[in-house]
Parts: sequence; structure tokens; C-alpha cells
Amino acid sequence: MTGKPIVQIKNIKKNIGKKAIIKDVTFDVFAGEVFGFLGPNGAGKTTTIRMMLGLMSITEGEIFINGYSIKKDFESAIACVGGIVENPEMYKYLSGYHNLLHYSRMYKGIKKERIEEVIKLVGLEKRIHDKVKTYSLGMRQRLGLAQALLHSPSLLVLDEPTNGLDPAGIRELRELLRKLAQEENIAVFVSSHLLSEMELMCDRIGIIQNGQLLNIQKVDEFLAEEKTTVSATFTVEPVSKAKACIGSIIKSKTSAVKNNQIEVEMEWEQIPEVVAKFIQEGIKVYGVQTATKTLEDKFLEATGGSEIA
Amino acid sequence: MLNIINLIRNENMKNFRVVSTWVMVAILLLMVAIGGIITKTTSNSEGNKDWKAEISKQNEQFKSMLSEQQGLPKAVKDRYEKDIKINEYRIKHDIPPVETNTLWGFVISCIGIIAIVSLFTIIKAASSVASEFSSGTIKLLLIRPAKRWKILLSKYISAMLFAIGLLVVLFSFSFILGGVLFSFKGASHPYLAFVDGAVVEKSMVLNVFGKYGLACVDSIMMVTFAFMISTVFRNSALAIGLSIFLMFTGGTIVGLLSKYDWVKYILFANTDLTQYIDGTPLVEGMTMAFSIVMIIIYFAAFNFISWFNFSKRDVAA
Repeated sequence: MTGKPIVQIKNIKKNIGKKAIIKDVTFDVFAGEVFGFLGPNGAGKTTTIRMMLGLMSITEGEIFINGYSIKKDFESAIACVGGIVENPEMYKYLSGYHNLLHYSRMYKGIKKERIEEVIKLVGLEKRIHDKVKTYSLGMRQRLGLAQALLHSPSLLVLDEPTNGLDPAGIRELRELLRKLAQEENIAVFVSSHLLSEMELMCDRIGIIQNGQLLNIQKVDEFLAEEKTTVSATFTVEPVSKAKACIGSIIKSKTSAVKNNQIEVEMEWEQIPEVVAKFIQEGIKVYGVQTATKTLEDKFLEATGGSEIA
Repeated sequence: MLNIINLIRNENMKNFRVVSTWVMVAILLLMVAIGGIITKTTSNSEGNKDWKAEISKQNEQFKSMLSEQQGLPKAVKDRYEKDIKINEYRIKHDIPPVETNTLWGFVISCIGIIAIVSLFTIIKAASSVASEFSSGTIKLLLIRPAKRWKILLSKYISAMLFAIGLLVVLFSFSFILGGVLFSFKGASHPYLAFVDGAVVEKSMVLNVFGKYGLACVDSIMMVTFAFMISTVFRNSALAIGLSIFLMFTGGTIVGLLSKYDWVKYILFANTDLTQYIDGTPLVEGMTMAFSIVMIIIYFAAFNFISWFNFSKRDVAA
């Protein structure tokens, strides 16, 4: 990453009662990048976000935003952060516009034009004067994004931002976040469990489980790395003969047989070899499908399934 | 760092853009109107005309009681003497007594409705903090460059402004309605006070404001209490329920316990300051100064607990 660190999280810990919720998490988020924060339910994603935003006290460690400590210099630190925690809960009895007006009054020097600008950016011009209770979840997400961007923050913290958006909305959000990161050099911190979404949206991904950061990786790096090993599904007849045939070529541990399909994890380069062997043996080949390991597999592998800590 | 005026404007916007606020105002107006109509229909306007005859008859009764019964306690004697003097002054200067079917009489009778104002303010104050938690909006409210105590203070001030607004509505509407129903002619009548054995004319408006002020002491304390419960438990139903329960039963509980000396340290034994002006204190030896000190101590304690909970605790809603 070329940008300067906007967020510096240094050895933070959080205990609630005697239970350690966050156990020593350290990472930086840089200007101009979209950082994905992944983890199963109860891993500590929201707790970390709450500490970053000063909603929860930090038991041990420090969080700096733009160099200001969130513990000691809360007002200066939080002034450069825009965020949504969990769902974008707005005042339902107010109109979207009044919600934005409400938050704009909490910063110095936000003009009416800036409010209009943000409304346009998230595409809510037509409904902004309607009461929020008439909004769909997707519209509330947009309004949530609008309030987070009002004061042109240098860090945007979004907790599950794609929740409730339709596919078009997700795509729009993705493009918007990428644009904000690239053009305005904002650091974007996104938590989610929508893994396929993260692959497309983020530059780096940190995986958290049981309050510990398992690893941080660049998205493009590991996609390249994973390209070599694929999961191949052969639709063949007869299956038993084919299975023996595969066994003679590769020593694969994972092969599943279902109806007339065999699923094998193998090297990408070996697929033609296997097909040639099948034909040689007189096995009828109806189809070959390959799938690269997705982030989801990687994620499940790293976190060991969906067990709640 | 941040202008607290803006925070108060925000709280006021949230207050006045919710329908329930206007329902409260409507109920308040309705209650005054009903009170006015009942007073108008039940009072006989004839009685007003020969009020001079009536109060001179009253004075004769007082005088005969004073001369016949020697063993009267001093407080009662003083009361009779005061009433006699004031009645004589009324006849002499042609100032009719304050009956409920006069302008000021009606305004004063409406002071009882301040209990409703407290009730509404308790509901507002309790829900202004707790509803932020129950709706989850607290998470977006606290991630702003404003210290938590400022946000809390803005909510408190906004609740007080709401109370003042309702009191202004109550006073002006009862004044206007009183004038319309019972004529504005009485508006210039002074309030007759009895100072050092002589009758003194005083401003009726100031007298009524004084009565409002005393009636508000209880309200302010209950609103502060509701505010505290709401920040501690983050639950508006609990805060509203407990405050209203105490508001209506506090006096009774204190009355039941009045044989014990320690009852004077309970808040509700002190909030009714009128007990020192025209009445007897609940526990012998209690003074106005003692009650004021007790009220200030409770007030500070309630506010400290609110502040501590709101600014120090984690937001996990």
C-alpha cells in the first residue's frame, strides 16, 4: 500500500466481564484502500468497530485515527470518521433530509450545498423529503452512507454495508466505494460475511476469529495463488472405472462420487492428461467442470466452519 | 468544541417532529377547555354581584368565632384576623374576591394541570435518552465530534424547554379562556397580601408565576429522576412507569411514614414548598432552607448518576 496509515490499531484487547472478546488485534488501514474485515458471527468484528468509533472503551492497547488517539483525543479522532454500525438506524419519524440536517449540525461548517451533494451521490434525490419509515432497507443503507460521507471523512467504517441491497445496489455501492478510495484517497473499512462480495470490493482482507486476527492478505495475491489448484468435476460413465483411472494418475485425497459425477481436487495442468486417459480407457466423457477455490472456501478453511466461539 | 446550541436544536427538532408531542399539547388545551366549561356551567353568575354582602357576612362569622371561642390555636386566630382584614380591604377598595369563576381564579385553578405537564415532560425526558438506545440511533449519535455529556445536557435542556413551552401554553390558554368565559375585567385586580399586619396590593401576575414556580419544583425533580432512570436502564417504559408511580404515590408514602423523623430526608417530603407558606410542615422542625438543601442534594445526585452512566458506559445496543 502506498498511502499513509489512517487507522493504526495497536494490540487492542477487550474484556467484557471476565470474557476476553478481543485478544490482541493489530493492523493498519491505509489511505486509498478498501480493507475487508471478515469473520463468522461472534468473532469480534462489531466489537472492534465499536472500539474504533469510541462506542466501547478499549481494555488495553491504542487506536489512532489520523494520528489522534480515540481514547485521549476522541473529538479530533472521530471528526475524520464516518460510519455505520450494524444497521443504518435513522430517526424514522424524520424525513431523510432532516436526518442529514441533524447530523450535519454536529460538525463544524457543513453547508446546505454539501447535504445536496451527498444526497445526489447516493441517489436519493426523489425520496429525500419522505419520512424514513417509508424507506426500504436499501434506501436506508443509502441514507446511512450519505450521513457517513457528510463531513468528507478520511476514514469510512461500514458494518455490513451490502445488507439489504439488491444486486444492482451492491454493484453501485462497490463502484462508489472503489471510487472514494481511488479518487478521494479515503480509507474504507468494510466488515462483512458476504465473502464473494469482499473479493470484488476489497484490496486487502483481514480474517478475524475468536477475537484474534488470523491473517491479512491482498485479494489479488491469493486469487493468483489459488488458481493452480482447482476442483474438477467429471461427468463420466462408468463411474467406478473412471475413479480407478484417476487414482492411477494422481494421488488425490478428496474425491467425491455422486451419480455419474466425480469431484476431484487437482492441479489445473493435469486435467487434459486425465481426459486423455479416460478416452484411452473407453470411458464416456460428458463434461468437465472446474472451479477455483473461492475466498469462501479459504475463509471456511481458515476459520474451521461456522462454529460460534 | 461543538456548539451546544446546535445539539439543542437537534433535540428540539426530534421533539417537535414527532406526532405525540402535538397530541400532548392538544390534550393540555382540551383539559383547560373542559375545566373552563365545567366552571362556567356549574357556577351561578348571580352570586358574583353581591359579593360585598357575602364577605361582610363572612367577616361577622369570623368575628363572632374569635370572640366566642377563647381556646383557639394561634395559627387559626391569625388566619381569621388576616381574612377579616383582607375582606374589609376588598369592600373598601371594591376588589372582588378571587373565585374560580373569575379570570384569575380560573388561572389559579388551572395550576393543578401542571401535574399533567410534568407527566408529559417525564414521558419526553425518559424517552429522549432511552429511545435512542432502543431504536439503535445512539450508535450514529455518539460517533460525532461532540462529548457525550454535551449530548446528554442538550437532551436535558430540550426536555426543560418542552416543559416551559407547555407551561406557557397552559398559562396563556387558561388566561385567554378565563377572560373569554368570565370577562377580562378582572385582569387588573391586584393580589392582596398580608404583610406585618397590613394589607398590601401586589401584582397578580407575579403571584400566579410564583405559584407556577412552586408547583414546578416537584416536576423538575421528577423529570430529573426519569432522566436518570432512563440513562441507567436505557429503557423508557421503566423510566416513565417508575417516575409516574413515584409522582403519584410519593406524597402518600411520605404521609404514611410521617411519624418517623427520618422521613424528612426523603425527596417527596421536601418537594412541596407550599407547606412552609400556607400550611404546616410535614415533620416538626423542617424549614424551607432545609428542604431547599435536600432538593439541591437530590438534584445533584440524580444528575451525577445520569452523567456518569451516559458518558462512561459502553454502547452495546
